[in-house]
Amino acid sequence: MAMAALRREGRRLAPLISPQPITAARSSLISEEQVPVGVRSISTQVVRNRMKSVKNIQKITKAMKMVAASKLRAIQTRAENSRGLWQPFTALLGDTPSVDVKKNVIITVSSDKGLCGGINSTAVKVSRALHKLNSGPDKESKYAILGEKAKAQLVRDSKKEIVISITELQKNPLNYTQVSVLADDTLKNVEYDALRIIFNKFNSVVSFLPTLSTVLSPEIVEREAEAGGKIGDLDSYEIEGGETKSEVLQNLVEFQFSCVLFNAVLENACSEQGARMSAMDSSSRNAGDMLDRLTLTYNRTRQASITTELIEIISGAAALEG
Amino acid sequence: MTLNLCVLTPNRIVWDSEVTEIILSTNSGQIGVLPNHAPIATAVDIGILRIRLKDQWLTMALMGGFARIGNNEITVLVNDAEKGSDIDPQEAQQTLEIAEANLSKAEGKRQTIEANLALRRARTRVEAINTIS
Repeated sequence: MAMAALRREGRRLAPLISPQPITAARSSLISEEQVPVGVRSISTQVVRNRMKSVKNIQKITKAMKMVAASKLRAIQTRAENSRGLWQPFTALLGDTPSVDVKKNVIITVSSDKGLCGGINSTAVKVSRALHKLNSGPDKESKYAILGEKAKAQLVRDSKKEIVISITELQKNPLNYTQVSVLADDTLKNVEYDALRIIFNKFNSVVSFLPTLSTVLSPEIVEREAEAGGKIGDLDSYEIEGGETKSEVLQNLVEFQFSCVLFNAVLENACSEQGARMSAMDSSSRNAGDMLDRLTLTYNRTRQASITTELIEIISGAAALEG
Repeated sequence: MTLNLCVLTPNRIVWDSEVTEIILSTNSGQIGVLPNHAPIATAVDIGILRIRLKDQWLTMALMGGFARIGNNEITVLVNDAEKGSDIDPQEAQQTLEIAEANLSKAEGKRQTIEANLALRRARTRVEAINTIS
């Protein structure tokens, strides 16, 4: 009790006696250095407050990691099921990113919420590179953006090139009808020769690679089929069911676009949850490290203040006697 | 020599195994596919897919899409598909009645078209059950 009272006295006197070293000590606390010897110690209250806030942050990030893990599990099976959907199209029509076309539309799929690592920035970087590649004398490319994060980044420098931007995709659980309506909207507003979809493909919980899927318009498909590119496979099939070959091709391309977009959106959602999991995991680990360091500083501070008080008391007592 | 049939929807794989024959309904009528059929790519209408396994016929209701038939591999990609055995007769009948009611109430071109499509879908489902039983 007496010790506590003396300690409080010491703390009240400290700012009066030596304001200069206190601020130095405080800034040194923030930069995690040794408290200079001989200084009236900083209050342990400061360190304790900091420890409390770091611990809260650690709890929050741990919770966010678990939430992301459970969401990932739910959406991963759906993404894998939807992968089989666009493979027949690739087998029939080919996926040729290198076809040279006049009008490109770059569709960037990104997330709405942040704290998910670097996946959105990589997607935007790839989109910008593709845009630069495709802007020549008679070529042009426009953006169609899905997701808030890519919109925020691309609106800054390419505002005129954005045809349509859609956000809040994940408010309702993703399903094919919703995505096919989106695909329809995009196709209505823009004329295109090739659609390039950029998304983060989910390979595993720790690896997400930006991937490009190309969907060519029916005219280009016909042109390439005649030129005998990889799409030559189409000719070996007799087209039936519909008035003309071009009408069937048109339907086919629209269907392909909505399937590929559905798969892209699901994969991107998986990558988002996976990236968020690993980001939150590393941040809770960092918080734990910081907490350890702060605990050491706290103990040192506490012991230093006790020592100085003891010295005061003892020297005071000695002065009284002698 | 048997055909390998794969029926895919955006959400799941509905069928993936070998069959002896299928009857598919396309925009220009029904086509029957036996082993060693010529390669064909065709649009699939909202209708019934009949599958023959040895001597047994199974029906599936398809909601429009594409089919690719080539060297004994058939891939059918549809918006939605339901096996006849998975459809509840009562519920399908009710959906049909609701769809018919909606069609008579529909105003405007767009609503009429949508109501028509819904009606065709409901009718397909009811037919799928009836063909088995």
